Amino acid sequence: MTTISEPAPPQAAPIVTGRTIRLRHGKALLRHVGGTLGITLPVFFIATLITFLLGVVSGLDPAAGIAGDAASPETVARIRADLGLDQPVVFQYLHWIGGVLRGDLGTSWFNGVPASELILQRLPISLSIAGVALLVGVVFGLGLGLVAGVRHGGRLDRAITLFAALVSSLPPFVVAFVLILIFSLWLGWLPSSGYVPFADDPIGWLAAVSIPAVALSVDVVADLARQLRTGLVVALSENYVTGAVVRGLSRRRILFVHVLRNASGPALTVLALKVPMLIGGAVVTEAIFNMPGMGKLAADSALRGDVPVVQGTLVVSILLILACNMCVNVLLGVLQPAARRRS
Amino acid sequence: MIRQLLRYPSARAALVILAIVAILAVFGPFIAPHDPLAQDGSALLQPPGTRYWLGTDALGRDVFSRLLAGSTVSVLASLLSVSIGLVLGVVPGLLSVFLGRRFEWINLRVIDALMMLPFLVFAIAMTAMLGNGLVQAMFAVGILITPAFFRVTRAAALSIANAEYIEAARLMGASTSAILRRHVVAKVLPPVAVAAASMTGACLSIVASLTFLGIGVVPPDPTWGGLLATDLANLYDRPFGPVAPALLIVATVWALNALADALRDSGRKETAA
Amino acid sequence: MTQAHSGLPADNVVTLGIRHRRPEPPAEPLLSVRNLHVVTAQGRELVRDVSFELAAGGTLGIVGESGSGKSLTCRAILDVLPPGLNVASGSIRFGDVDLSRLDAASWKDLRGKALSAVFQDPGSYLNPSIPVGRQLVEAIRATLRLGRTAARDRALELLRQVGFEDADAVYRQYPFELSGGMAQRVLIAIAICAGPRLLIADEATTALDVTVQAEVLDLIDRLRREQALTLILVSHDLAVVSQICEHVIVMRDGAIVDAGPTRSVLGNPQSAYTRSLIEDHAVHTIDSARPASVSGKRTPLLAVKGLHAGYGIRTVIEDVDLELAPGEILGLIGETGSGKTTLLRTILGLIPTASGTIELDGARIDGLKAGPLRELRRSGTLQYVFQDPLRSLDPDLTIAASVTEGLHLRGETDGASIAQALGEALQAVGLDAALASRLPRHLSGGQRQRAVIARALALAPRVLLLDEPVSALDAVNRLHVLKLLRGLAQEKGIAQVFISHDLGSVAGIADRVAVLYRGRIVETGPADQVLASPSHPYTRRLLAAAPRLSAQRSEAPAVFTAH
Repeated sequence: MTTISEPAPPQAAPIVTGRTIRLRHGKALLRHVGGTLGITLPVFFIATLITFLLGVVSGLDPAAGIAGDAASPETVARIRADLGLDQPVVFQYLHWIGGVLRGDLGTSWFNGVPASELILQRLPISLSIAGVALLVGVVFGLGLGLVAGVRHGGRLDRAITLFAALVSSLPPFVVAFVLILIFSLWLGWLPSSGYVPFADDPIGWLAAVSIPAVALSVDVVADLARQLRTGLVVALSENYVTGAVVRGLSRRRILFVHVLRNASGPALTVLALKVPMLIGGAVVTEAIFNMPGMGKLAADSALRGDVPVVQGTLVVSILLILACNMCVNVLLGVLQPAARRRS
Repeated sequence: MIRQLLRYPSARAALVILAIVAILAVFGPFIAPHDPLAQDGSALLQPPGTRYWLGTDALGRDVFSRLLAGSTVSVLASLLSVSIGLVLGVVPGLLSVFLGRRFEWINLRVIDALMMLPFLVFAIAMTAMLGNGLVQAMFAVGILITPAFFRVTRAAALSIANAEYIEAARLMGASTSAILRRHVVAKVLPPVAVAAASMTGACLSIVASLTFLGIGVVPPDPTWGGLLATDLANLYDRPFGPVAPALLIVATVWALNALADALRDSGRKETAA
Repeated sequence: MTQAHSGLPADNVVTLGIRHRRPEPPAEPLLSVRNLHVVTAQGRELVRDVSFELAAGGTLGIVGESGSGKSLTCRAILDVLPPGLNVASGSIRFGDVDLSRLDAASWKDLRGKALSAVFQDPGSYLNPSIPVGRQLVEAIRATLRLGRTAARDRALELLRQVGFEDADAVYRQYPFELSGGMAQRVLIAIAICAGPRLLIADEATTALDVTVQAEVLDLIDRLRREQALTLILVSHDLAVVSQICEHVIVMRDGAIVDAGPTRSVLGNPQSAYTRSLIEDHAVHTIDSARPASVSGKRTPLLAVKGLHAGYGIRTVIEDVDLELAPGEILGLIGETGSGKTTLLRTILGLIPTASGTIELDGARIDGLKAGPLRELRRSGTLQYVFQDPLRSLDPDLTIAASVTEGLHLRGETDGASIAQALGEALQAVGLDAALASRLPRHLSGGQRQRAVIARALALAPRVLLLDEPVSALDAVNRLHVLKLLRGLAQEKGIAQVFISHDLGSVAGIADRVAVLYRGRIVETGPADQVLASPSHPYTRRLLAAAPRLSAQRSEAPAVFTAH
């Protein structure tokens, strides 16, 4: 009954050298970057499709506006045909996205100015606010999160956690009020409205931008601090930390070389998700501080039905957001090759 | 569940605040001492006093009455947005785990795309271009918050999708819908409830932001966000004008967040037991 | 010190390292633990009054089940107790240093240099995001103050020393690219990089395959000899400890219950607990009066012919033939990655077959899809039992709901007949009917596994596929479940395929044994024959690697450990 087959050759693994491993890791990283791109491109097309459909669903018809009230139906139909509006929606989208990819965002129905020109004029203002807000958010969010995570359970941790909970229930415009009250009305240090280009007056630029940026960053600070704290608490209880202690590594080295790297995952992910909020949230702050930024342009254009300009601002925002997200994603893959493998 | 929740002091405080807000939302318009739209030309920009408890705005309208009257719209709008987000997020979130790879991929990309939209700008654009009304605003916000519900549902479903008891059920011939009904839905609901509570808070703040910008609600009708906007315009004359509406918004949002945290903690304790 | 434990005399202080026939006076002990108590923040004592001494160059084994305090004792020595636990009293002296009152700076001079340790689940003790070579270099530079290139050379040398031929490949790999055995070698390299005096190996070979476990134990033993290391080897497995250590301590519920030279503890155990541990290593032949006809020719109930299967392009199962007669138990043995589970999952239709056939009672069941597959599954003929009963029961459903799930899925609605089926199934597995209304987490491990078997029995199966059904159970429950399975085969004629890495369980229960190696069945035959005189080299290697109690080696050659 006992049957025997030939034994398989023991340890038939191919010869592995340091070079093969390095090659394998390089390929894995390339695959990761490729995979990120492979996700980002469809997302870009879906997001722009949604943006485009918004214009379609709105039912606003440029032809009627161009032709004027007295135009005959035939004239309107001819203008529609000229604009390509009689074609199926898919073709209209492809035509439009083709233009977008070549940098042509169409012209404003309101004043005939190219949308790209309008947006470029206002982009620096929005970028200033969102960029400074991002910087403030990252610096303070990571700082507070680091302190809370390392001292978790302590008084400082509880204070930071409470601060984060309170602050994240504040709508940004409420924070803006408080800041205006304190810094503009009481102390009179900072202006409560207006914008100064950086090139004209860097100090004035900073003064103009700081209240809106801080108001916008509060939410980022709170969320980053909470996520980093959670990540740190989890990572600090991992076995490799015990291992590093037993190996005789210093506390500082364990924290900054080993723990932080693995703990930063959730915080970085949240940071990527916060970018759309920052760029979107600029609308409100721009309204409060009366700054002619991209958000205000979008809101004004939306209210007067200027579809190409609204779509243009959305596309530019989506591009910025996707770029930030891709960077964070690639960074995560570099920092944590094990997590990259799992996803 | 409720009794466990009440053990948290923050949850008790949150429930009290929410009860007050609920009363305001239901009875606010009826208990307002003045007509929220009535203008008193003799009393413009009054500070808080005995006749007008919270003072009057630039048109001489009673701020307190406007606050009460605005409650219904503000609360209802955020609740409806959350309902829309719940339906659009939870169902695909569940199915994305159990219905094959292609369905999952498309769902994930659409949700990614929704998350990549600049939130407020898009909500404004959508509301304005679909005819600037409260219903449009609610739909816009509801659609834009679907990713939150999708992600929570999906994460909860994913954590049990590979559980051995699900495989055991499948090996006894259970269909996907039977597995969803017997094993999945009940486990996904608690985290969804937590998300719903905190998203209601977020929606309140978003709806306030929108109405603050004059989107979604036509100006004379009062809302919390709209009140903030008019108060800001008169900040120099009534520096404490924004305090009352701001406090109301912040307290409600905080209460919802605290409730969500308490729900999450009590859920965790229960599974750990 | 609780009253209940005062029964332990002072002789639980073991003076170790005083070898026989060594005339010189006892040397100053390298490590001396006196009256150690470890308590939780709530004041519960997890380690009670533990004392022992270990001379330089000595080897001490600490044995006990999880929760016995053996690992906490080691962690107390290293001052890495889990948060919330503290040393309440007692002293730990290492050479002439009192470890229990040492500041952080002095610890830095000791850890990694004089004291080092390796643990269970080695992969998790390496930072997942950094290549292992860099972690090794880091440890070297933290302890030895070497330059970059010197440290790198030393690291490569160490990797070769712990048995890696392709040291520069391993150097660049991330921990997740290493198998458990490889990761443990890397950790051992890190542990010995500064030439420590004391090495603590805390369950360092647990959960590794037996052949890998044997290799790692050999490595530890070799390094110990070469580098004059003093060794503390902690394990739940008395056999593992007995092979290497001269002295052994047996712990239970936080206290020492038996201690002394390994030979005398094994030969003349002082406590009932130690006797039960030794007893565990005996083969329990569940029923000697096994029907002899089983191995004869009969129409097979389950027949697998020329089966190939795998995931995607990777073939895991190659050309497997299996036959299973009614009432027969087939033991399937092989190491991690040998394809045992894949084979069962292929039979169950969870993995598609690439080629070959699977017949159940003469009917083809491979390649069934949707409707017919669901039909087969609802019939309940073929049932599967998982390794971990807790994870295979829905935590929110009562035992009754879980056991009757299959009946409901089948569309049965008659409450009375369902209740009757439930009662019969519970009775068959010897589970109290009162437990039916409980949730799984309120049952013990043994009860849960019975519930899982009851769930299968409720559907009146003819074939049971059991994937490590007793691995998560302790010795007593394991024996009960094995008896239950044997009874089901004999009384109800339920044929079973029984996977286990534990050769003792297989020897006890199986009629026939099939040995799986790299997806192929390399040897099959009657259980006693294959296990007593294996003919395939791999089977021989597998059997030789299984740790056995060293004191009994000469008397009982076929004693396998029960993990």
